[in-house]
Amino acid sequence: MTTATGFDDALEEEQMIFGYLDPGSGSMILQVVIGGAAGIAVAAKALRQKYQLRRGKYPLPDGEEPAESIEDTSLPSES
Amino acid sequence: MLSPDPGSFRDPASRVVLDGPRVLRLLDLRGLEAWRALARTDFFTSAVADRRLIETAESNDVPPGSAGALEHPRLPFISYPYEWTFAMLKDAALLQLDLLRDALSAGVTIKDATPYNIQFVEGRPMFIDIGSFEAYQPGEPWMGYRQFTRQFLFPLMLRSWIGVPFQPWLRGAMEGPTPAQMAQLLGSRKRFHMGALLHVRLQARVEARMAGRSVRDGLKTAGFSAQLIQANVRKLRSLVASLEWAHGDDGWSDYGSCEHVARDRAAKGEFLKSAIERTHPRRVLDLGANDGHFSGIAAAAGADVIAVDYDEAVLDDLYRRSEGSSLAVVLTDLANPSPAQGWAGTERSSVADRAHPDLVIAYGLIHHLIYHASIPPREVVRWLRTFDCQVVVEFVSPADEMVGKLIGNKRAHELHPNRDEADFRGLVEEVFDILDETNLSSGTRALFALRPR
Repeated sequence: MTTATGFDDALEEEQMIFGYLDPGSGSMILQVVIGGAAGIAVAAKALRQKYQLRRGKYPLPDGEEPAESIEDTSLPSES
Repeated sequence: MLSPDPGSFRDPASRVVLDGPRVLRLLDLRGLEAWRALARTDFFTSAVADRRLIETAESNDVPPGSAGALEHPRLPFISYPYEWTFAMLKDAALLQLDLLRDALSAGVTIKDATPYNIQFVEGRPMFIDIGSFEAYQPGEPWMGYRQFTRQFLFPLMLRSWIGVPFQPWLRGAMEGPTPAQMAQLLGSRKRFHMGALLHVRLQARVEARMAGRSVRDGLKTAGFSAQLIQANVRKLRSLVASLEWAHGDDGWSDYGSCEHVARDRAAKGEFLKSAIERTHPRRVLDLGANDGHFSGIAAAAGADVIAVDYDEAVLDDLYRRSEGSSLAVVLTDLANPSPAQGWAGTERSSVADRAHPDLVIAYGLIHHLIYHASIPPREVVRWLRTFDCQVVVEFVSPADEMVGKLIGNKRAHELHPNRDEADFRGLVEEVFDILDETNLSSGTRALFALRPR
């Protein structure tokens, strides 16, 4: 879950990084799949992160709840 | 006086402006940084030398409000993907992928993937949007993947796999089909094809499921890399290369072997050469160019030629033969030519607004407009006058064999009046002076060289 403010911040940051083009979240995830062998390690790590987050292996900042799926698996140290 | 190019505004880091005959690209700080990262690479030098990338030099004329300015050569003619043939879009797609592959090896990426960033110069695709390049940030996915599929891959699949021309779709919806739309269009075709499964069906499903969610950090920490993008590009390149369109002799592919065409071709060529000697045109617009025979005569005389036709098969062949020539191929139906459209109705200009000819060739054309498209003869003559330059035109009388075919099931009263030669001459003399004329051996066709009054 993200707060409204957090969501706005994330959007702002995303626009700054990604520029004017909306790459599509699903299409970005898909790139891991179509990469074939090259994507296996990335997919495995993403799934492991998702699993570890669900098990509570990473301490989360105050007020932040665990991510629910692969798309929110950024490490707390980088958020 | 700087005038912004109406088709260049989406990227805030980089915008093209015209300064008289000069083409400048104005950059903000981020755009300037991206340009300098690109300019340092061997990739940039070699891609410019190979004419895969447009020549670019940093300019000292930096207007207030910009961090930097680049200068490009002005291209003879700008065309849009909905005016390209299958082979043109395919060549452009392969160039896009090859440039991304090579750029990534040099630590640079291309942040979008639209065919509007590619133009055809001397019959070959050239990437013209230097502002699309920026330093690759480790962990970032390929931002242009979705756009590539919508604007290159799906249109090529439409033609190659479904047999449907992509141009009407790209003209009507310039962003191209969405993955969900493409999945609908494919139906049960290519059910077991890996390219259809991944890029169309799976992308449509994942896109629906992930809409509005943020994935960037997750991909980065999971180790997304340039090598993964390059693996994707390799696979996509192989898929694009496998897409073919085998057009037969349908439409007007066989036009050159028609009896009346072969008989009159030499005389029409000589008549055109006389007009060229009279006008010394820098730019010639060949309307109804077909196999490009007369375009070739104008190009051999040193003119830039825009060859327009509505038959994709003949233009596809002409494009494949045009490498190294000053000939630009434009696929459009002259009874419904490319309009001005896009944002504010000015982002993409009409084909007429881009043409600026010094001489128009209208051989084998106006009887199609009059008898097939039901355009009144007076409208056709007035339309030729709008180009505001000399015109060589072939008049075909109602008694001509081809006119009989074009009339088909129409009855005489369903045709517009003023169709015979005397009528045509009268209509022409309202707005043109007749400089030269000759009858062709068929006896039912005549050529006129016209100068605007």
